[in-house]
Amino acid sequence: MSVLEEILFSSTQILPEWILFFGILTMVFVISFTSKESKLPFYIFCIVIVLYLYSVIIHPATASAQKLYNGLIHLDKLSQFIKQLVGISAIIFMVHTRLFSYNYSGEVFTLILFVILGISFMSMTTHFMTLFVSLELVSLSSYVLVAMGKAKKNFEAGIKYLIFGATASAIMLFGISLFYGISHSLDFSSETFSNAIAANHSGAIQTVSFMVLGGFLFKIAAAPFHNWVADVYESTSTPVLSFLSFAPKAAGFVIIARLTAYLNLNASLTIVILLSLLVGNLAALWQNDFKRLLGYSGIAQAGFMLVGLIKFNSTDFYGTFFYLATYLPITMGSFFLVDLIFKKSGTTAIPSLAGLGKKYPILGINTVIIMVALVGLPPTVGFTAKLVVFSSLADTASTSGNYLFLGLLIFGLLNAAISIYYYLKPAYYILVKESTSKSSYYSYDFLLSLVLSYFGFILIYLFLAPDFISEWIMGVLH
Amino acid sequence: MEILSSLILLPLAGALLILLLPKVYKTSYKWITLITQILLLINVFTVLGIFDKQNPEYQLLEHSEWIRISLGSKSILSIDYILGVDGLSISLVALSGIVFLIASISSFKIVYREKTYFSLFLLLTASVYGCFLAVDFFLFFVFFEFMLLPMYFLIGIWGGKNRAYASLKFFIYTFAGSVLILVVMICMAISSQDEFFSSEYNRLVYSFDFRMLKDSANLIENALLSIKNPTLIFGLPARELMFFLLLIGFGIKMPIVPFHTWLPDAHVEAPTPISVILAGILLKIGGYGVIRVAYQILPDASVKYAILIAVLGLVSIIYGALNALNQTDLKKMIAYSSISHMGFVFIGIAAFNSIGFNGAVFQMFSHGILSSMLFLLVGVIYDRTHDRDIRSFSGLAKRMPIYTLMVAVAFFGSLGLPSLSGFIGEFLTLHGGFQSDLPKGIPALGIIGIVLSAVYFLWTFQRMFFGEFSTKEEYKLSLKDLNKQEMVMLGALAILTLLLGIIPNLLINYTNTTLLDILK
Repeated sequence: MSVLEEILFSSTQILPEWILFFGILTMVFVISFTSKESKLPFYIFCIVIVLYLYSVIIHPATASAQKLYNGLIHLDKLSQFIKQLVGISAIIFMVHTRLFSYNYSGEVFTLILFVILGISFMSMTTHFMTLFVSLELVSLSSYVLVAMGKAKKNFEAGIKYLIFGATASAIMLFGISLFYGISHSLDFSSETFSNAIAANHSGAIQTVSFMVLGGFLFKIAAAPFHNWVADVYESTSTPVLSFLSFAPKAAGFVIIARLTAYLNLNASLTIVILLSLLVGNLAALWQNDFKRLLGYSGIAQAGFMLVGLIKFNSTDFYGTFFYLATYLPITMGSFFLVDLIFKKSGTTAIPSLAGLGKKYPILGINTVIIMVALVGLPPTVGFTAKLVVFSSLADTASTSGNYLFLGLLIFGLLNAAISIYYYLKPAYYILVKESTSKSSYYSYDFLLSLVLSYFGFILIYLFLAPDFISEWIMGVLH
Repeated sequence: MEILSSLILLPLAGALLILLLPKVYKTSYKWITLITQILLLINVFTVLGIFDKQNPEYQLLEHSEWIRISLGSKSILSIDYILGVDGLSISLVALSGIVFLIASISSFKIVYREKTYFSLFLLLTASVYGCFLAVDFFLFFVFFEFMLLPMYFLIGIWGGKNRAYASLKFFIYTFAGSVLILVVMICMAISSQDEFFSSEYNRLVYSFDFRMLKDSANLIENALLSIKNPTLIFGLPARELMFFLLLIGFGIKMPIVPFHTWLPDAHVEAPTPISVILAGILLKIGGYGVIRVAYQILPDASVKYAILIAVLGLVSIIYGALNALNQTDLKKMIAYSSISHMGFVFIGIAAFNSIGFNGAVFQMFSHGILSSMLFLLVGVIYDRTHDRDIRSFSGLAKRMPIYTLMVAVAFFGSLGLPSLSGFIGEFLTLHGGFQSDLPKGIPALGIIGIVLSAVYFLWTFQRMFFGEFSTKEEYKLSLKDLNKQEMVMLGALAILTLLLGIIPNLLINYTNTTLLDILK
């Protein structure tokens, strides 16, 4: 096949990305010619997202991985899975925005589409070049999204995000260049690369791998690359945050999973897991703002998800992807909850939740369900996820005779016990505490309560019948 | 007829009904709860009736497939919904039936946020029954954990002054314990396989079925918990490490010293009916868990560390009793006496003979009845005066004769007067202890615990009830004798403890066969 033919053939294989690309072009065009108040960009966004998700779902699942563009793109079922998840999260973003009538300008939707495009490419590559470019596409769009509000703290958060992000990218790029120096190859699935890795001193490889990992650890908000989290979470508009708290993370986990298939990252990942659990949980203990709390909880959750990426002989990262799939309704549900609470009480400070549960029982019950799912208690799918991630770790580790896992197991689960304290805080205030102010008016939002209850229902339903997720992911991995 | 499922579904249906009924009907919530509990008790008696006492295995089994989650390409977690009763669980199911009924009568006094209260109450009922009936470890664990949530809110919303602290402490302590149990559960599950299904699915099938787990023939070769080639972790065989984790996990629930500090706080803050449930049933789950999980699945480690169990029990007995001696708050004194009495359970199960085992189960049952009674009695005086200080009262016998009679039954039952149930439990556990291979000093020192409990109960009795009637002026009018409702609750429990004290075989007939089977 000649180069041109290869390019032409490859281009026919990435329909979802073309949809996004043309969607973005249309969007840019439309924004330039409509007024700021126009609803048109939102509708275009909806159409593009639905088409994107549809094209991802009907895409014939390729039995084996497909190399496109001469190895720049690596299309397989795993990338389909991530794209499906991201598509779903974009739909939730859409619903969230609409229900709370956020009047975003067209730029926000365009940037979200850019993020999705970046994630799409990120999820289907084993080539450092594509990886870096798509990661930067995601990052740059998210910086702008975060900085977009009018308040001063939006700008502050955006700058913070940018500086930390740029540093992480720089470190990663440095690592990639070192890898290139070692192996003369940018495709980490190639044989040249693995031969070069095997031929070199493992200490050096470990260091360089950790540097490369940095960029993605930043994306998934794992310690020690977590400093941006609290400020960004506090100031970013909730639906955008809800999307950013899930989608880029999903892509980050895929990349780390792909890297662990070729590099031995166990040592660095173990450190990152221990740090993330500790930092996330301990810092969250002192938070009084719901969104900041969720930010730190996200760090700890990233730690739990990384547990599934520790690699032994026969690991297939099943646990992590199971967790990831269940994390979608949990985290996006929690942000929906935050927004609903914000609507009722005008603030996201936790003490202001006092008495809300008595006035709005549905809100109260769902708060408990979502918080319990975050802790990982039955009867919610959060428990199933923790069970699966830890049992698959124990399963593969015990056969390989490595008992490091037992320490991780106990440490991780004891951290879950610490997390009870802060996760119960919102539930405690909303249900137990009496309201001090009597002034707030009663307003019943049927639609919002319904959607929130839908999240709550999903979390319990998936606990009772997790086979659906299980089969979905087994289909992806095998 | 799926009678065991009905024990879980009935309270859930009741809770749903309460949630759906509008607030206008809030006076009916307590009646719904009461009727549900009566129906449950009828079901429990039916189960007692059709239970075959000679059969040591699980009976009335209900089995349906629940979850099959793959763990990667090589193995499957198979989780089933299996319910069943054997001699061990049936005694505790019976106890739950009684205690929940009593607690629901006692809940009639609740007048604040009734809807939430009674629906949580019924949720708690469902999860307790589920915990005792589960034959699947996963199912057991789910109910075990789920119990924490209603309990947290029941203490946190309707508790005393310091309820926020107490409920959170309760939650974190017991959750930390259950996390350890979760670790053990995972390690147990991945160490043994269900051979039949493994060949059918052509993958390793990890089952959580208790019957599967306790059969050492199912252990996978070279697995973590393998008996033949023990895996050493930090120099300890994995099986023993797991045993310790279980002991701590269930020990927190029980509670044994030094993991007991949540209990006095929780008891002092909890409203009366919740204290009754906490002491009457929830503590038993600790003992039940040790026998069901640790003893049946890790028998080798359990036998090896029998002395440790006995010593822990002994420490709890003595430490609890000494603390109880020192309390001025009546409720706190009873909370510590609970710790002390639950210590006997550990001595009984450490004996590894049928007398000790039967004694331990008997002691759990009898303590369930007696501690319910004790906490109700504290509730009586607290409702009238909002004071529980022992020093505030004296000579109550003259003003409240029936109350005094009930207190006497409960106190003497607890300190082990023959003809009341407490005596049988303590006698059997210590008798078992003496007959076993344990050092004779342990049961001998246990007797000191009985003496100490006689000291604090009799001393309290003397201070509060004998002598001239005197108390603070403002209490004098409100101190009336028991009303009918209280008499019904306390009378029923008093008759039960007397009945069991005279005919202990009522209970032992049910438990004996299964316990003998466990001993093998």
